[in-house]
Amino acid sequence: MDAYIEPLKALAPELLLTAAALGALVLDLLMRGRDSRFVGYFTLVSLAIVAIILMNRIGDEPTAAFGMVVVDNFGTFFKLFTVASLAVVTIFVLSDRNESHHHIGEYYFLLLGAAIGIFFMVSTNHLLLLMLGLELLSLASYALAGFHKGERKSAEAAMKYVVFGGLSAGVMLYGISLLYGLTGTLDLVEMAKSTGEAMPAGLAGQLTTSAVPVALAMVLVLAGFAYKMSVVPFHFWTPDVYEGAPTPVTTFLAVASKAAGVAALLRFLGALFLGPDVQSVVAEYGASVGQLLAILAAVTMTLGNLSAMRQTSLKRLLAYSSIAHAGYILIGVATMTGAGFEAAMFYMAAYYFMNLGAFGFVLYFEGTLGSDSIEALKGYGFKAPLISIAMVTFLVSLTGLPPTIGFYGKYLLFKEGLDAGMYWLVGVAALNSVVSLFYYFRIAKMLFLKEPASGSVPRQPLFAGLLAVLCVLTIYFGLLPDAIQEFVRNCLLI
Amino acid sequence: MGLGAYIAVSAALFALGVVAIVVRRNILYVLFGIEMILNAANINFVAFNRFNGDGLDGRMFAIFVIILAAAEAAVALAIVLNVYHLFNTTKPAEVDLLRE
Repeated sequence: MDAYIEPLKALAPELLLTAAALGALVLDLLMRGRDSRFVGYFTLVSLAIVAIILMNRIGDEPTAAFGMVVVDNFGTFFKLFTVASLAVVTIFVLSDRNESHHHIGEYYFLLLGAAIGIFFMVSTNHLLLLMLGLELLSLASYALAGFHKGERKSAEAAMKYVVFGGLSAGVMLYGISLLYGLTGTLDLVEMAKSTGEAMPAGLAGQLTTSAVPVALAMVLVLAGFAYKMSVVPFHFWTPDVYEGAPTPVTTFLAVASKAAGVAALLRFLGALFLGPDVQSVVAEYGASVGQLLAILAAVTMTLGNLSAMRQTSLKRLLAYSSIAHAGYILIGVATMTGAGFEAAMFYMAAYYFMNLGAFGFVLYFEGTLGSDSIEALKGYGFKAPLISIAMVTFLVSLTGLPPTIGFYGKYLLFKEGLDAGMYWLVGVAALNSVVSLFYYFRIAKMLFLKEPASGSVPRQPLFAGLLAVLCVLTIYFGLLPDAIQEFVRNCLLI
Repeated sequence: MGLGAYIAVSAALFALGVVAIVVRRNILYVLFGIEMILNAANINFVAFNRFNGDGLDGRMFAIFVIILAAAEAAVALAIVLNVYHLFNTTKPAEVDLLRE
């Protein structure tokens, strides 16, 4: 009996989220289309409970459940990240002026469902569970992107997302099947450990005879991660989906979904190439995977930043900016060292504050002006000074200038890149930061340096307060990053 | 029949799926292409399991993939139906409000 109860305890956060998701659905039915906001409050309370459970787990010894789920601090870090971003997204949904707030209980159900997918995705070394978590997240995201059924842009976004997502998932699955064929196991730790004497040859045995099949499988699997993180050449969906989806959903995709991709990639690479029992030939191969990732990083950030420069829609601009940021994060991943992974995790934490803030601003501004074009921002800073100042802070942080958390995050990434000897990559990244200054500054210029158009802006004090808090935290952790760094250090993978 | 034959079939199916996605102008054929890729992976899983695995991992994975494919088809078709209602077409080229 205990053999079943103990692992279930380890899965408490996942079980609670599942209960919350079903609860949200039932609650909406019981309310019969009256104000769905109540379901949103219910979601917030459940997220708070899950967060408390997760917080108490930080620092615990890693355990495993049912042979597939790994419960460790690394997973807990990204679960907390997901819960925290989902809470903010829920508040965004609740404050969204473009939303009817009737009959939208499924919104919260789908968000919670996506979170369950992320939870499993970040806490497993088993490729089956990884794939199932990823697909659960994807399926919920497709539906969320098309949530405004009557809106043509939303429908188009969902269609494009489902096609790209389906293709990438299929490609990744094919890669996984090849890895399984080469190694005879689906467990990443086992894969890296096998000496290659038995049949099938195993990763080590295969690498000593011919690296081509392994390279093929590796590229196909990495495609799946690249799609989730919107890394070139699997980024095509990003601008269209970000623009067409409802803004809270865009926020979710840009922050939580991307973080899930990063977490799964870190775990995949960490288990396969950097674990304690990894065969030396496999570890050496990891270095060349790192080289491939470094090239992808350079291409991704350059393409993201150059495309962002000629955008007229603020959401689309932020979509390209999020592609560029995926490139920066890849610097830390490409180093293939524990310290590089730490820098990537820290950057995700920084990314949380600045991107939630920036998308929160988009939602606020879209709700009051009914448009997300950069032209419409003209003089907005005089009409809504508080949130415009907050937005400028987020932009400074996204550029990577002091005194914000974005600066410290980028500093860590660049430092690890240099330590790993990737001078050219850090050079490209530094140039990219300069390029990004142009288009981020263009927004700030629109806000404050242009004459205001007439008309006033309706107030949303609570929502503005949330943005102000994010803004203060962006600066606070920029000046004193120790608290977050300490937290990240407690949650390292290796 | 050896393992090679199975892998050849699955590789062909995978390639056909990718070709379908790239060249077909109708979204439904694109979805067929995705299904073909998923089934190519499935053939691999079952064949590898039969020829060189001792457990049931690969076969189990294949069953999960069938479920995944069904779930994905359900969501994708619902989305395509909605697009058809709003745009009166199922050709991706004619659904292009979102662009630079």
